[in-house]
Amino acid sequence: MKIIVAIKQVPERDAQVHIDSSGQWIEEANLQYAMNEPDAYALEEALQLKEKAGGEVIVISTGPERVSQTIREALAKGADRAIHVVCDDLAARDALGVARLLAAAIQPESPDLLLTGLQSEDLGLGQTGVIVAELLGLPHASLILQVEIIAKEGSKAQIKARRELEEGWFQSIELPSPAVLTIQSGGNKLRYATLMGIKRAKTKEVRTVHAADLGVSAAPAVALEAITLPKKQKSTQILNGSAEEAAAALVEKLKFEARVL
Amino acid sequence: MIFALPTLAEPRHFSLAEKLLFLALAAASVWGFWRRFGVVLEKILEAKKDAGFHLFPIGRRGREFLWEVMCQAKVIRQRPLPGLAHAFVFWAFCAFALVTLNHCATILGIGFLDPDGFAGRCYFYFAAVFALACAVGILGLFVRRFLARPRWLGEKLSWESGLIALLIFALMATYLAAFFVSDKNPAAKALWWAHTLTLLAFLPVIPHTKHLHLVLSPVTVFLSRGGFSRIPPLSGDEDFGLVAGKDLTQLVSLQAYSCVECGRCTEHCPANNTGKRLNPKQIVLGLRGYLNEFGPSSDEPLLGKYNSQQAVFECTTCGACEFQCPVGIEHVPILVGLRRGAVNTGAWDDPHGAKLFLALERGSNALGFPLAERDRFIEKNALPLYDGTQEYCLWLGCMGGYDPKGREIILSLVRVMQHLGVTFGVLRKEKCTGDPVRRLGNDLLFQQLAESNMEALKQSKTKKIISICPHCVRTIQEDWKEYGTPPEIEHHSEFLARYADRLPQQQSREKIVFHDPCYLGRYRNVYDEPRAVVSLAGKLVEAPRHRERSFCCGAGGGLAFLGEETGERVSHNRAAELASTGASIVGAACPFCNTMFRDALAAQGAGAPQLLDIAQLAARTLPQDNST
Amino acid sequence: MRVLVILEERGGHISRTSWEAATAALRLAPMQEITAVVIGAQTELPAAEAAAKAFGKVIRVEHPLLAPYTSDGYCAALHQLIQQEGPTQVVFPHTYQVRDYAPALACRSGQALIGDVIEIADGPVFTRQLMQGRLNGSYRHAGNGPCFVSVQAGAFRAELPDAAAATPIETFTPAIDAAQIRTRPGEPFRGSAQTVDLGSAQWIVSVGRGIREAENLPLVQELATALGAELAASRPICDNGWLPMERQVGSSGQSVAPRLYLAVGISGAIQHLVGMKGSQCIVAINKDPDAPIFEVADYGIVGDLFEVVPALTEAVKAAKQ
Repeated sequence: MKIIVAIKQVPERDAQVHIDSSGQWIEEANLQYAMNEPDAYALEEALQLKEKAGGEVIVISTGPERVSQTIREALAKGADRAIHVVCDDLAARDALGVARLLAAAIQPESPDLLLTGLQSEDLGLGQTGVIVAELLGLPHASLILQVEIIAKEGSKAQIKARRELEEGWFQSIELPSPAVLTIQSGGNKLRYATLMGIKRAKTKEVRTVHAADLGVSAAPAVALEAITLPKKQKSTQILNGSAEEAAAALVEKLKFEARVL
Repeated sequence: MIFALPTLAEPRHFSLAEKLLFLALAAASVWGFWRRFGVVLEKILEAKKDAGFHLFPIGRRGREFLWEVMCQAKVIRQRPLPGLAHAFVFWAFCAFALVTLNHCATILGIGFLDPDGFAGRCYFYFAAVFALACAVGILGLFVRRFLARPRWLGEKLSWESGLIALLIFALMATYLAAFFVSDKNPAAKALWWAHTLTLLAFLPVIPHTKHLHLVLSPVTVFLSRGGFSRIPPLSGDEDFGLVAGKDLTQLVSLQAYSCVECGRCTEHCPANNTGKRLNPKQIVLGLRGYLNEFGPSSDEPLLGKYNSQQAVFECTTCGACEFQCPVGIEHVPILVGLRRGAVNTGAWDDPHGAKLFLALERGSNALGFPLAERDRFIEKNALPLYDGTQEYCLWLGCMGGYDPKGREIILSLVRVMQHLGVTFGVLRKEKCTGDPVRRLGNDLLFQQLAESNMEALKQSKTKKIISICPHCVRTIQEDWKEYGTPPEIEHHSEFLARYADRLPQQQSREKIVFHDPCYLGRYRNVYDEPRAVVSLAGKLVEAPRHRERSFCCGAGGGLAFLGEETGERVSHNRAAELASTGASIVGAACPFCNTMFRDALAAQGAGAPQLLDIAQLAARTLPQDNST
Repeated sequence: MRVLVILEERGGHISRTSWEAATAALRLAPMQEITAVVIGAQTELPAAEAAAKAFGKVIRVEHPLLAPYTSDGYCAALHQLIQQEGPTQVVFPHTYQVRDYAPALACRSGQALIGDVIEIADGPVFTRQLMQGRLNGSYRHAGNGPCFVSVQAGAFRAELPDAAAATPIETFTPAIDAAQIRTRPGEPFRGSAQTVDLGSAQWIVSVGRGIREAENLPLVQELATALGAELAASRPICDNGWLPMERQVGSSGQSVAPRLYLAVGISGAIQHLVGMKGSQCIVAINKDPDAPIFEVADYGIVGDLFEVVPALTEAVKAAKQ
C-alpha cells in the first residue's frame, strides 16, 4: 500500500510569537519550528499501517527551505521518502491555495491512501485534507483515530476508520481506497525520534518540487488582513462570599462564562 | 638482639628430580593461568577502542592508583573492618612478591635473599609481620563470608572464596612455620614444598575466579575515565551506545572482568534496597557472562540473556555503586550506555518515557507546561530579566520555572540575593538542560537541547549562572561540554556558603537534618557548603547515611518522569530515615529531592518534619520584610 | 445580501450552536435577508422550528440519501442549492459535521471556508483565533462568489427575533445518485463506558488530601454524580487505598484533559499539575489561599470544602433542573 502523509511545519509550541511590522504575520526570524502534532499522529498511523501490511510511506510538505528539517524528522521516524514542495509565500495562500499545491504534487504519485492531521497548530484551519480530497476527487473521512484495512483486492482496499464525534461518541466509517483521512491527535502513541533514525534518514530520497512549476493559482479567496493580540489573558477568578453564594456564583460562571456545564 | 630471633628455614639442597618436578609443576601452573587469562586478555583487547580516551595527563592516574590501590583507601574507608583485613592481605601480597621470587629461585640455586644475612633476615621478618596480619585478616574474612554472611555477598556460598582463603592461609602458615624449624630438619623441605605447591595451585585459580581482580583491578583503577560518572562520547555514525557486544569498549570489558563481587554497589543501590530488579553487581557480571559466551564482536543484544531492560531503567544514576566500587568499575556510564543503546535505536518502549521525550521534542520543559506559565511566574514576581550587565544569570530550570515548590525556592533565593545586593536576571526563555534525557540515553534530544541552550546563552552574553538544581548544574557544567563550551555555573549552596558571614545567624536550636543530593554530593563533591547554610538556621544533625553515602530520593536518572516504581518507593525509604533523626526540619538542596520528599514525608504521618530548601532556610534568617 | 444559514439538528431540535450561527449572520444581513436551511431525509419538524423565527424564508433540503449524514451527500445537495440561490454568504455552526464537509463544499464553488469565527465586524471582517488562541487573525473574503463562514460554538449568544407572521417554507429536492455516496458511516456509539477512562472523561471531580478521611469521600462523590462527572484523586488518596489506583491523576497516574476539572482539597503538587494542566476549565476549592492549585485555576473558592462542596452540589442540581 502506498501511503502519502501530508505534514506541516509549524512554530514550536513554546515559541514566543511577535507580530511583525506589517501587522499581517509573525516575525519568523528567531522562531523554532516543529512538526504539527496532528500530522505527527497521521505519520504514526501511516507507519503502523505499513508495519502491519507493508508498502511505502511518503511524506509531503510545503513551505520554504526550513521545512526540510521537519521532513528529515519524518524520515527519521520511519517514512521511506519525501516530497518537498518549495513555496516561500505559504502564509499568503489560503487553505484552498495550499491544498491545490499539495493536490498537484500528489496526483502523479497516485497513492492508495492520503493521511494528514486534522488541523494545524498555527492557523488551525482544519481544511487542507478535506479540500485535497475534493480536488483529487477522492472520498474522505475526518476526525479519524484509528484506521484498519478490512478487505484488499489488488490495489483496491476497503478501509474502516474510527471517527471521534463529540462528547465521548464515536462512529465507524467505511470507504474505498484511494481515500483521504484526516487524523485526530491521540489515537496512537507517538514514537520518539531516535539518533539511529536521524542517521538513517540521511540517505533517504527527498524530491524537491517548486510551487511555481505546479501551475496552480496563488490568488487567495480569503485574505488574512491583520493579526492582533487577544484582549483577555488567563487569570484566576476567586469567588467570594458564603459557601452558598460562592457555589451559586461558580455555577453561573461555569454555565455562561466558561460554558462547560 | 635480632639474632636471638628464629631464622627462616630454607632447604639448601635439591635433587635433580626435585628440580625437574618443580619446573614441570611451575610450567603447568603458568599454563593453567595463561589458558584462562589469555582468553580474557584477548577479549578485552579485541573490544572496541574507547572514544575520547587519553592516557595523559598521567598524574591524576598515578594519584588515584596510589590512593585507591596502594593505600586501599576506598576499601578501608567504606567498610573499615573487612577493608582493613583485605588491605593486610593485599599488602602481604606486595611484600611477598620478593619472598616468592626468592623462594622459587632457591631450588634453582639462584636465591638472592640470604636468611642468615642481615638484609635477607630483615626482609623475611618484615614479610613475616605482614604474613601474620594477612593470616589473621583472611581468617576474619572467612568467618565473615561463611558465618556472618552479609546479604550483598549473594545468597549462594562461594566455594572458590573458601578455597582461596584456604590457599592464602596455607601460604602464610607454611611461611611462618618455616621460622620454627631448622633448615637441616626434613620438615623444612616439607614446608618448602607445601608452600610451593600452594603457590603453584594458587596461580591458575586466579584467572578462573573473581580473584582475577588481583591482576586486573590495579589496571582498571589506573585506566579509569576519571571524573565521576563520566558518560563517554559516541563515536561515528554507527555508535548508538551499548547495543550489542561489538559496542563494548576495552574499558567496559576490562571493568567487567575486574569485578570482585564484593557487592558494595548492591549494598548501597537505592533500587536494589527497595525491592527492584536492578542489581548493579549483576549488571557487571551480566556483561562478563555475555563476553564469555558471545564475545566482544557479537551482534547479540546486550539486553537479553544476561541483563534485563527493566533493571537498566530502574537506575536513578545516584552513583552510590560507582562511588563504592573498590576496583574502579564505572557503573553509571555502563548503565547509561545500555540505556543509550535501547533509546537511540528506539527499542525502549515506555509510555512515560515517550511522553517525556515528546514533550521535549516539541516544548521547552520536561514537565510539558506551556512556556507562558513561566512568563506569568516571572511577571507576577517582577523578576528582572538578564541583560548581560548583572553578575548572575539565575537559571530557573524546569522545577524553578513551573513547579510551585521549586518556585518558592527560587523566590527565597531571590530574597537572599537582593538582601546581599548581588545582581541577577532570568532568561526570557530557557529549555530543559537535557538532564533526564541524557541519563535516559536519548542522545539526539540531549544534543538538541544542549546546543539550543548554549546558543541562547551565548546570545544573552551569559558569563556566570547560578542554579537551585544540582542536576542542571551537573548537566550544564559537564555534559554540555560534548557539544561546546558552557558558561561557568554554580549551585546556590556554594553561593550561599560564600556569603554565609553576611547572613544573619538565627538563634535557634531547632534540629535540621540535611539530605545530601546525589548530584551535589557524589557528583560535585559539595558537602560542607549546604551544611554551612543549614547551620545558619538551626542545629545540624546527620542522617545515618550522609555525605558520600547519602541515599537517593529516587528522582534521578529521569526516574521522576517514569511513573510509579515497583517495590517500596525510594523516597519513602529515605524519608523514614530522615524523620527518624528526630529533626523538625529536613533541609534539601535539590528541587527534585524536594518534590519526592513532599509526599514521602507526609506519609510518615503526624509530626513529620517540615521540608525546606537551604535557600528557604537562608531566607528565614533574614529580617522580616515588610513588603511581603 | 442573501445569506444562507445551515442549521443542524441535535436530539430532535435545532442545536444551540445553529441558533448562535444564525445570530452571527445578523452581523451580515438583516433577518429578512437570511434564509434558514435545514437538511436531511425528513426536515419537517426542524423546518417548523426554524420558521418560528423571523427568517426571510426557510428551505428544506430533503432527500432520502441525506440520512445518515455523508460529506458526499451534503456537498452534492448544498452545492446545488447554492447554485440555485446564489447567496453572498453561507454561514454554518462550526461543528464536527461542518468541519467534515464545508471545506469541500466551499472548494466546489472555488472558495475557502473562513472557519471557527469568533467575531464579525463591519466589512465584513471575520476574526478567528490563531496559534492556539495566542493571536487573533482578521480575515476578509477576497474571491468572487459566495463567502463561506463557520461560527465557533458559544462565540455569539443566541438571540433571534420570533416570527411575527408565518415564515415561508420551501422545499428543495437535490438530485443525488446513490453511487455518488462513497462513504458508509456506521451508527454512533459510546466510548468504552465499563472501565474507568479518565483520559476521555469530559467532566472530572478530583479529590485530594484535604478530604482527611475515607469516610468523607461520599460528599465529593455526590458532587461528581450531580455533575455527571468521573471521580478522580491525587496520589495520596490512592496511596491510602481510598480510591483505586486507576483513578489517580498525575505524573504517576493518568493524564486528563476534560472540559471541567474540579479540584477539591488538592493543594497542587507538581506531580498532580502535570496530569491535569490540559483541562479546558479548572476550578479549585481549597481552604489555603496560597495553595499552588490556585495558580493554574480559572475559578477558585477559598473555603472549607466540607461547607462548599455540599452547597455546590445543591447549586449544580438546581441548575440542571
